[in-house]
Amino acid sequence: MKFDNPEIPEGINTRGEHPLREFFWLLLAVLVTTAIIAAIVGYSAGWIAKRIPYRVEQQMAQRFFESEPTPSEIGDYLQHLADRLAPAEGLPDDMSITVHYIDDDDDVVNAFATLGGHLHFYRGLLARLPSEDALAMVIAHEIAHVKHRHPIMALGRGVTLVAAVAALSGVSGGVVADRVTDLAALTNLSFSRAQEREADVTALRALVRTYGNAAGAVALFELFAELEQDRRMPTILLTHPHSKDRSREMRERAAAQGWPTGGNTTPLPKWLTEAVARTESVQ
Amino acid sequence: MEILLQNNYLVVFVVLMLIGYFVGRAKERRHYQSIFEREEELRRVLAFSSKGPPPSMAVELTTLVVGDVVISVDYFKKFVAGLRNLVGGPMMAYETLLDRARREALLRMKAKAHDLGADMIFNVKLETASFGNRAGGGVKAIEVYAYGTAVKTKGVN
Repeated sequence: MKFDNPEIPEGINTRGEHPLREFFWLLLAVLVTTAIIAAIVGYSAGWIAKRIPYRVEQQMAQRFFESEPTPSEIGDYLQHLADRLAPAEGLPDDMSITVHYIDDDDDVVNAFATLGGHLHFYRGLLARLPSEDALAMVIAHEIAHVKHRHPIMALGRGVTLVAAVAALSGVSGGVVADRVTDLAALTNLSFSRAQEREADVTALRALVRTYGNAAGAVALFELFAELEQDRRMPTILLTHPHSKDRSREMRERAAAQGWPTGGNTTPLPKWLTEAVARTESVQ
Repeated sequence: MEILLQNNYLVVFVVLMLIGYFVGRAKERRHYQSIFEREEELRRVLAFSSKGPPPSMAVELTTLVVGDVVISVDYFKKFVAGLRNLVGGPMMAYETLLDRARREALLRMKAKAHDLGADMIFNVKLETASFGNRAGGGVKAIEVYAYGTAVKTKGVN
């Protein structure tokens, strides 16, 4: 009996298509789908989170995050300013604002609002503000976040996106889920920037109503633009729009509404500037 | 530059993908070259799936021969497979992997048979196993195991 073992032609059990082509099309399909789903999920999660009653938000804050603010003269001063600005911004009476002043030596330049109307201000920021108007703009901006329920919306979006990506990682494995998380985070950042712009607009109105002009806002964003001079990141990667864009938007809006951008500003009280200064030079 | 430093996990990912792609492709090409050469050398060793030689055949030697190979998946293939898991369709990345592994296992089995002086292998079977393959990890490596009964027919040196 004669047997034969001929050479079998290649390409029967494997395809000829270049692996990079497959990679490119698959990646494109997945990224586009992710961007769309992240936008839809982000939007709807924010919409639902906004409808959680403020009382519930405050209870959450109490349980998980906040303690009573440490009493201080600066803290009282900030709280007083906040209580003046809140009604000017149209914050409902049943939504309370609690101000925390953080007196640290690390020279952190930051201020933020979290759940339940808790605002935090760092010494480093206060040490650099040129006037009470500018400080009022910062406070009004944070109050605006509270008024628009941005903290709880951001939390709802974040939690929902994490859950969605976790479901994905069960199917595709961790590596793909990591990249999808990155893209979802990028989408989240654009929501964050929109929130910052909305807060700026609301705060500007309150500032003008309280001080008669928008000089404080102009000075504030000029300061920020100076502080971020050496960080030239593309807007798509930022949580806030570029300060010069925010500054421009403020001036345009003031012009549109007929609000003066120049004029007298109220200086910060002397005891405050002395209290927030440190012996090292402030950059 | 700052963007790269801030997103260094992304840089790591890209580097791993590039290594996986270029090194993986090169290794695969070299492996196939080796496979073609050895398939030519061992063309005379015949493999059958039937259980034994036909009764008319005079047989001198029968012994078990085994060929075993474990090949790991590179980073690039794993990522593409993850995307495929979402979208569905043929996993081209793994097709070449399994093709290589099957042929390699068969060649190793044939080489053992040839060393014994056998020219035929009967009852050839293949078994495949995958390592990893847990949710969230993806397949890490695959093993193909080929075994059969090597037979030396009388009259062959």
